[in-house]
Amino acid sequence: MSDKMVVDIGKALTSEKINSINEEKIIIATENLNFYYVADKPALIDVNIAIPEKKVTAFIGPSGCGKSTLLRCFNRMNDLIPDIKVHGKILIDGDDIHSNNIRLEDLRKKVGMVFQRSNPFPMSIYENVAFGPKVNGENSKSELDAVVESSLVQADLWREVKDRLNDSALDLSGGQQQRLCIARALANKPDIILMDEPASALDPISTGKIEETIEELRGNYTVVIVTHNMQQAARVSDYTAFMMVGELVEFNDTRSLFTNPNKKLTEEYITGRFG
Amino acid sequence: MNSPDSSKYHKKIKRSNDIAKIIITVGGYGVIASIVLILMFLLYESLPLIISPSVDEKDLGIADSKANDIIATGLDRYTEVGYFLKAKGQIVFFYLADNSTAYKDSISLEESESIISFEKGTLGKDIFAVGTNKGRIITAEAKMSPEYHRNSRTIKCSFKTNEIYTVENLEENTGEEISSLDFTENEDGFNYWGWVNQKGELKLRIYDSDEEEYYSHNITSMLGDVNISSIKFSSSGELLMVGTDKGDMFWFDLSDPEDVLLKDNWRFSNSKITKLEFLIGDNSLLIGQQDGSLTHWFPVRKKDGDFKFTRINDFEKQNSKITSIQASPRNRSFFTINEDGEIYLGYSTTKSIQLKLDHTENKIISATYSPKADGLIVIDTRSEMIYYSIDNDHPETNLNTLFGKVWYEGYENPAFVWQTTGGSDEFESKFSLIPLIFGTLKGTFYAMIFSIPLALLTAIYVSQFAPKKWARIIKPTIEIMAALPSVVIGFLAGLYFSPLFEKHLITAFALLILIPIVFLMSIYVWKLIPENRRLRFPQGAHLVFIIPFLAASFITAISFAPYFEDLLFNGNLNQWLYNTLAINYDQRNSFVVGFALGFAVIPIIFTISEDALSNVPKSLTSASLALGASQWQAVMKIVLPAAAGGIFAAIMLGLGRAIGETMIVLMATGNTPIMDLSPFNGFRAMSAAIAVEIPEAPVDGTLYRVLFLTALMLFIFTFVINSFAAWIGDKLRKKYARF
Ligand SMILES: Nc1ncnc2c1ncn2[C@@H]1O[C@H](COP(=O)(O)OP(=O)(O)OP(=O)(O)O)[C@@H](O)[C@H]1O
Ligand SMILES: [Mg+2]
Repeated sequence: MSDKMVVDIGKALTSEKINSINEEKIIIATENLNFYYVADKPALIDVNIAIPEKKVTAFIGPSGCGKSTLLRCFNRMNDLIPDIKVHGKILIDGDDIHSNNIRLEDLRKKVGMVFQRSNPFPMSIYENVAFGPKVNGENSKSELDAVVESSLVQADLWREVKDRLNDSALDLSGGQQQRLCIARALANKPDIILMDEPASALDPISTGKIEETIEELRGNYTVVIVTHNMQQAARVSDYTAFMMVGELVEFNDTRSLFTNPNKKLTEEYITGRFG
Repeated sequence: MNSPDSSKYHKKIKRSNDIAKIIITVGGYGVIASIVLILMFLLYESLPLIISPSVDEKDLGIADSKANDIIATGLDRYTEVGYFLKAKGQIVFFYLADNSTAYKDSISLEESESIISFEKGTLGKDIFAVGTNKGRIITAEAKMSPEYHRNSRTIKCSFKTNEIYTVENLEENTGEEISSLDFTENEDGFNYWGWVNQKGELKLRIYDSDEEEYYSHNITSMLGDVNISSIKFSSSGELLMVGTDKGDMFWFDLSDPEDVLLKDNWRFSNSKITKLEFLIGDNSLLIGQQDGSLTHWFPVRKKDGDFKFTRINDFEKQNSKITSIQASPRNRSFFTINEDGEIYLGYSTTKSIQLKLDHTENKIISATYSPKADGLIVIDTRSEMIYYSIDNDHPETNLNTLFGKVWYEGYENPAFVWQTTGGSDEFESKFSLIPLIFGTLKGTFYAMIFSIPLALLTAIYVSQFAPKKWARIIKPTIEIMAALPSVVIGFLAGLYFSPLFEKHLITAFALLILIPIVFLMSIYVWKLIPENRRLRFPQGAHLVFIIPFLAASFITAISFAPYFEDLLFNGNLNQWLYNTLAINYDQRNSFVVGFALGFAVIPIIFTISEDALSNVPKSLTSASLALGASQWQAVMKIVLPAAAGGIFAAIMLGLGRAIGETMIVLMATGNTPIMDLSPFNGFRAMSAAIAVEIPEAPVDGTLYRVLFLTALMLFIFTFVINSFAAWIGDKLRKKYARF
């Protein structure tokens, strides 16, 4: 199946002349994706992107260019906003996520999300992490214990909270809360984790920790991260997409994009001439 | 920066800050102070109900040199003039103020004849009969009537002998000694005399003043071989109670003056019956005995339908023989005197001795109530006259009668009863607050089971599921319901809805069953619609889909219910309920009130819980949805717990409103103070009782104060509920709502 997908996506993307990713296995792909919050004013215009599996992909671009919008398309969080319109296709593992046989809950279990502002539930640390498995039908206590522990370990939080799992999650520091949110997303054993500026509200040390965590996840999960910080994108990501006013300007492996951009706009943006 | 302008500006800000601070502080403390004041006022008004009576002693001086001769005493209504009657027939009226003689007269007796028995006729009237050792019964009247001259009042005293009757004894042609005399004069103009002579015979004489006819009976043979120690007529004369020295009791029925009937006799102890007395109303009988026991009895209907005098209560046992019992002419108070000279004041309803007057130094010769029962005059062996003025405004209430079960006259068992006014002064007031509290809680309960689910589900729907546009219409609409005056709701419920409900009871029941079925059916049908069609409905608007189903079930219920009723319930459900399940259906019942009260409560619960639900940050909902939770799971697991504090506060405020609500319960219930959980009959709530009865409660009377106590209870109820709500709400908020 994956072979077939590589071929399909390759075909779909020929016009975009993205070559370097053809060797990777693709997990998320969009086809002529247009997105409207309000009619006649597209927030995304003909976006075609193929995101490789088990790699870290960063979205960069000036404010309001549609990074978050695109990210939220992948787990259909935009559906919560009334009167939106989506044209085009979004394929995850080759399946159209808007098709009738995809359950929204299953999609979101598979595509986890970490928000810009940490939003732990007003419950204990344990309950926060166990929430996803629980709503998805996991009831066994031992299973939940194991999931909570492994998720917290992966999110690099286990050492700090293992003695206070029953304390309120709201007593954690901002950085810890954000890593808890990562652990919470991991507890669902997702394939993909979407992160919308996960470190933007944090101090440099906490930001460093989050970046370390992302480092840990690389290779096991597909991570898509929106960031305003170009150094961060350069540090953590394997691939980078540059967007502007709803359009995908350039998508390439991070090194190429930062050292040798194909587009003039990209070059101007990364050299800080606007943004 | 430091220009004079800016410093002026800062000063101005500071000044207005200070003023605002003062105003807010004063306002805040003012509110607290006024609440405390209200509480204090309610307490002040209701406390006299339970405080013990107090007594004031006034020494009136020496009555007469030979006090041992004094047979009886009396007082006028204004406690200005008293009299005493001596064995030799002299009667002396005197002013209480200075013990000076006001008037003197006497009953003309023969030489060596003296009065050996005495009895006042009617409670509170100074008509009495005396019996002499020469076999004469003299009925006389001491009159102390006020006369007004300009601004002053004088009491005019007079004395008159009404009748002299000589007991005939044809065989021996000698008189009889009249001991144990009793006498009563009833409202129908009948006079009853009963006495025991030296041979131990019990004789009765009845005079019908309308027919001017006398009836005489010797009923000794009906008693068997006993020694009569005490006899007592009820004040109507219809009952005669006889006690013996062995503790036997006899109950005669004299309602037919020609035919004396022995109703019952029994023995309950071996101690001599020394004194019998009926309390006001002729129901309660007090029996005093040689051993100092004092028991309270009244007729109670037994299983076989017959009435039997039943021992209701044993008052505190006294240390010596009870020599006298006198009933108050005003209420169910009485006092007893024992041989040691102790006076006990008691009350039958409260089943308690309320006051003890120790007069032990000298034996009491005679004592009597003042006509208003607010004092008593006592003469002891030293001829010392003492006037005790008694301050006992609310003898009929204590904590037990207010909150406990009481065995009221005529009842088969002790019960919680609220019945404050009856036909006459002789009515035993029943002031149990329990039926009112029960009523309030019952109404509140039915209101809450109706309104909580409805209000909460609506709040959840509006805040979490409904399209924004709809929410903008639904919310203010429901809030406007709160502005509906409760009298309008009560009016509609009582006059329009309750007859409608009664008429369509079967339809209502049918709907109760049909709606959930139809609901599930519509969900099933909804699932059958292909998904892409379903998605065309805007988010949360699925509800419209259910409307035709509901309409269908209404039509079904209304059109088929009558057939059902014919088929299953012989054509009338209400009748069927009564016949088959013994359920009494009142038109204005708890269902109707619950429904109407629910309307008053729904806006409160809805508004506050909707706010609480909306205030839960959307980010939490998003987070849970992003974790694969369904929308319903997100609501149940995240939003509801996070809003729990607010929802709890909303319910509690609703509860407070339901408890305090007056007009609706007043108009939509029958206001019957019964204690029965059945939804098909009414109740009387505390608030309604206050509203209904305060206009007819004399200021500072017992009912007046009991209503204040009811208000106090209501206040405490709502205060406790609100404080509890605030406390729990705060805890819940601390736990779940830190976002
Ligand atoms: N809920 C919404 N309703 C209407 N328009 C929206 C909504 N969310 C975003 N937009 C618009 O869509 C466009 C893209 O927004 P988006 O949030 O995706 O930008 P972004 O690239 O994430 O910006 P930033 O870096 O500031 O987060 C913007 O013009 C924004 O105004
Ligand atoms: Mg954004």
